[in-house]
Amino acid sequence: MTAFAKRIVAVSIASFFLALAASQIIRTRAALNLEEGRGVTFNRDLAPIVFRTCAPCHHPGEAGPFSLLTYGDVKSHARQIADLTQKRIMPPWLPEPGEWKFNDDLHLAQEEIALFKKWVNTGMPEGAPSDLPPAPRFNSGWHLGEPDMTLHADSSFEVPANGSDVYWNFIFRPPLEKTRWIKAIEIRPGERRLVHHANLIVDRSQSSRRQEKSPGSGFPGMELQIESETFDPDGHFLFWKPGTIPEPEPHDMALRLDPANDLVLNTHLQPSGKVEKIQPAIGLYFTNEPAVKFPLLLQLENDRKLNIPAGEKNFVVTDEFELPESVLLFAIYPHAHYLCRDMLAQARFPNGQTKTLLHISRWDLNWQAVFTYAAPIDLPAGTKVSMRYSYDNSDANPANPNSPPQRVVAGNRATDEMAHLWLQVLPKAAATQTQDPRRVLQEAIASHHVQNNPDDFEAHYNLAAMLQARGEVSQSIEHFKRALVLRPGDATVENALGGAYFVAGDLPQAIAHLSVAVRARPDYFDSQYNLGLALANSGEFHQAIEHLRAAVSLRSQDADAEANLGGALAAIGETKEAVAHLRRALELNPQHSLARENLDSILQDSPNP
Amino acid sequence: MFSKTNHRRRILFASLLLICGLAFFVCGSSLFAQMVLSLEGKPVDPIKASDGKVTVFIFVRTDCPISNRYAPLLQKMNGEFAGKTKFWLVYPDKKTTPQQITQHLQQFHYSIPALRDPDHSLVSLAGATITPESAVFDSQGRLIYHGRIDNLYEDAARARPAATTHELQNAIDAAIAGKPASIASAPAVGCYISDLE
Repeated sequence: MTAFAKRIVAVSIASFFLALAASQIIRTRAALNLEEGRGVTFNRDLAPIVFRTCAPCHHPGEAGPFSLLTYGDVKSHARQIADLTQKRIMPPWLPEPGEWKFNDDLHLAQEEIALFKKWVNTGMPEGAPSDLPPAPRFNSGWHLGEPDMTLHADSSFEVPANGSDVYWNFIFRPPLEKTRWIKAIEIRPGERRLVHHANLIVDRSQSSRRQEKSPGSGFPGMELQIESETFDPDGHFLFWKPGTIPEPEPHDMALRLDPANDLVLNTHLQPSGKVEKIQPAIGLYFTNEPAVKFPLLLQLENDRKLNIPAGEKNFVVTDEFELPESVLLFAIYPHAHYLCRDMLAQARFPNGQTKTLLHISRWDLNWQAVFTYAAPIDLPAGTKVSMRYSYDNSDANPANPNSPPQRVVAGNRATDEMAHLWLQVLPKAAATQTQDPRRVLQEAIASHHVQNNPDDFEAHYNLAAMLQARGEVSQSIEHFKRALVLRPGDATVENALGGAYFVAGDLPQAIAHLSVAVRARPDYFDSQYNLGLALANSGEFHQAIEHLRAAVSLRSQDADAEANLGGALAAIGETKEAVAHLRRALELNPQHSLARENLDSILQDSPNP
Repeated sequence: MFSKTNHRRRILFASLLLICGLAFFVCGSSLFAQMVLSLEGKPVDPIKASDGKVTVFIFVRTDCPISNRYAPLLQKMNGEFAGKTKFWLVYPDKKTTPQQITQHLQQFHYSIPALRDPDHSLVSLAGATITPESAVFDSQGRLIYHGRIDNLYEDAARARPAATTHELQNAIDAAIAGKPASIASAPAVGCYISDLE
C-alpha cells in the first residue's frame, strides 16, 4: 500500500526580513592632544581619526566622493571636514552615545571634533613624519576572499541622471543542488557612489518573482513583502551600507539556504548627475557546520497610528511588547521614512529599571543602518521593550517629501511613513520537545500585533500560522478567516486556510479553498502542491496528479512534490512513471523517507516496473 | 620666483577690486583677461565674451558630488535660456588640468563652456565660496546674484526630495527683465573653495 505524507507544506508568514553582515572594525581612539600650547598636526592628531572614521568610505572604489587617505587629501577638504564634523553630518552615525556600545561606532567625541577646527585655524600643519600611523589598507576585491559561490544580478539597472532617490530590487537565484549553510554573505552593490544602502532578504517561496515583469528584470519598490515558511524566520540581518566590511555569522548561527530559495537585494540609489548602470553581485561563503542556534527577528510597530496631519511638528507613535522568554539582544534596526525625526527604543526590566537601547535624535533615512551591539544585551523574561518615534510633517522638515506638506499615513511608498523597530534576539532557553521558546516569542508578538491592530492582515495571518503549528487548528482557522475578510480572494490566505482545513481533517473545505487559491494564481507552487495532496487524500488521484504535475513544473527541485506525485501515480497503477518521480525525490533528498518507503513498496510488488 | 609673482598679482588685484566697487562695468570688461583661461590655455574675459547677454558663472569642482548632481539641471537651464544668457562653468582648482576638465565635461554631458580660474579672479568677482555656486551678471556686467542654485541640499549629504526654492532661475529671470534679483545672495551648500590651494 502506498502511503501519502500526512502533512502539509508550511503556510507562509508575510513579513519583512532585513539583515546585516555585521561588520566590525576595531576602534582605536587616538590620544587627544588638545592641551594648551600644543599644536594640532595631521600626522599625530588627525590621521588616526581620519583613517578610522573617514577612510573606510573615502578611498578609491568606495562610496565616498573623494579620498581621505593623505595629508593632501584632507587639506583640500579641511574646512568642509571641520564644518561637517561640527554639525555631526560626517561621519554619518545616527545613534547618540549611550549605555551600550555598537560595533563600527563612528561617533566622534567633542574633543576630536575640536581638533579639526583647531587644525584649520592654526594653518593645517602636517607634523612629523614619524607621528603618522600606517595608512589603512583596503581590499578592492572580496573582503572575505574568493566566495564559494558568486552570483551576479541577471540584468543591470539604469539609474537616471537626476531626480530624487530610486529604490530597485534585484533577485538572485542561487543554483543550489542541496541545502547549504551560509556563514557569510558579501554584498557588492556595484557603483558605490550611487548606493546608499542595501538589504538582502531570503525569499524561500520565490514570492518576489511575481513582481518582475520578466524573469531577471528586477522590480521597483522601497519596501519588500516576502512570504516565508512559518517556523523558519530568517533571523539574520544582511545589510550593506557604504564602508561595510562583512562579518561572518557566529559559527553556530549559520544561515540555511535551500535549493530554489531566492535572495532579494533591495537597494536605495541616489542619482549622481549622469546616467549610470549598476549590477550588483553577492558572494556566498559556505560552512559544513549547520546552525545549532537560531536567532529570530521581532518587530515592534504601530503603523496603524500613523495618520499625520499636514504641518504637525511632533506626531508621536509608540509600541510596547513584553518578552515572554529571556533573550539575548544582538542587533537593532529602526525603520521609518522621511518624516521621522526622533527615535527612542527602551527596555523596562522586571526590576523596574529602564534603559535606553537606542536613541536617534536626528533620524536620516539616507544613513539608516542595522546597529549591532558590541556585546549582546541580556533581556530577561518580563522585560518590556518599547519604541517611541516622533514625526515632523511641517515644511520645517527639509526631508518632507511633500511641498506643501500633505496628510501622511502608513504605506510602502517613499511618500508614506512607517514606524518599525526590529530586534534580533536569541532565546536563552533551548527548545525542548514540548516547548520552543522561538515559537512562544513569535506567537506572543503576533498576538500583540492583533491586539494593536484588529484590522492588521499580516497579524491575523501570522498568528493563525503560529496557532496552526501549535496544533490549535480551530483557533488558527478563525484567524485565517479574519485575514480572508481583510483581503478577500487572496491566494496566500486561501491556500493557508485550505491547509488549515486539511489539517483539521475537513477535506471538502480544504479542497474548496485550495481550488480558489489555484484559480487565483495558477503559478503558486504551494497551492498546487497542497491541492494535489488534499485531492490525493480524498482518493481523487487523477485530479491530484494534475496539480502535483503543475507543482513539479513550477519547482523542479522539490523532493516532497516529486515524492507525492510518485505516490499518486503509483495509486493509479502508473508504476513506471511513479518510480521515476520517487527516484528523483531521493536524488534531491536521499533521506526522504516517504519516497523511500513508496519506492521500496513498489519494487517489492513488481521488481521491474 | 613664483610666489613673488603671485604675491604681486594679488596686491594689484585687490586695488583694482576697490576701483571695481566704484565703476563695476568698466572693470568687469577688462580686468581678468590675463588670469582666466580657456581649456586651450588662452585668456578669456567671460563677461566681455558674453556679448551683452546675461552672464552666469557656475563654480564647480570635479570631485564635488553636489556640483555633479546639478549637471542635468544646469544643462537644461542652459538650453532654456539659450540666446538670452551665456553660461560658463568655472573650475577654481588650479591643480585640475584641462584634460581632467574635458573628461569631466564628457562624463556629465556638459555642453556649457568651461573656464579655469586658477587665481580665483572670477571667484573674487562673484564673491563665490562654495562649489557649486552660481553668479548672475546682468547685461551691463553687474553682479546681481550669487549663491546656491536652489535649495535641493539642506546641507552636505542632506538632500531634499526636490528643491522648493529656485534662486538661480529667479535671478536669471530678473536679469533678463532688467530688474534687480529679489535676493542678492543665498548661502550655497557644497565644497569650500577656500580648501583649494
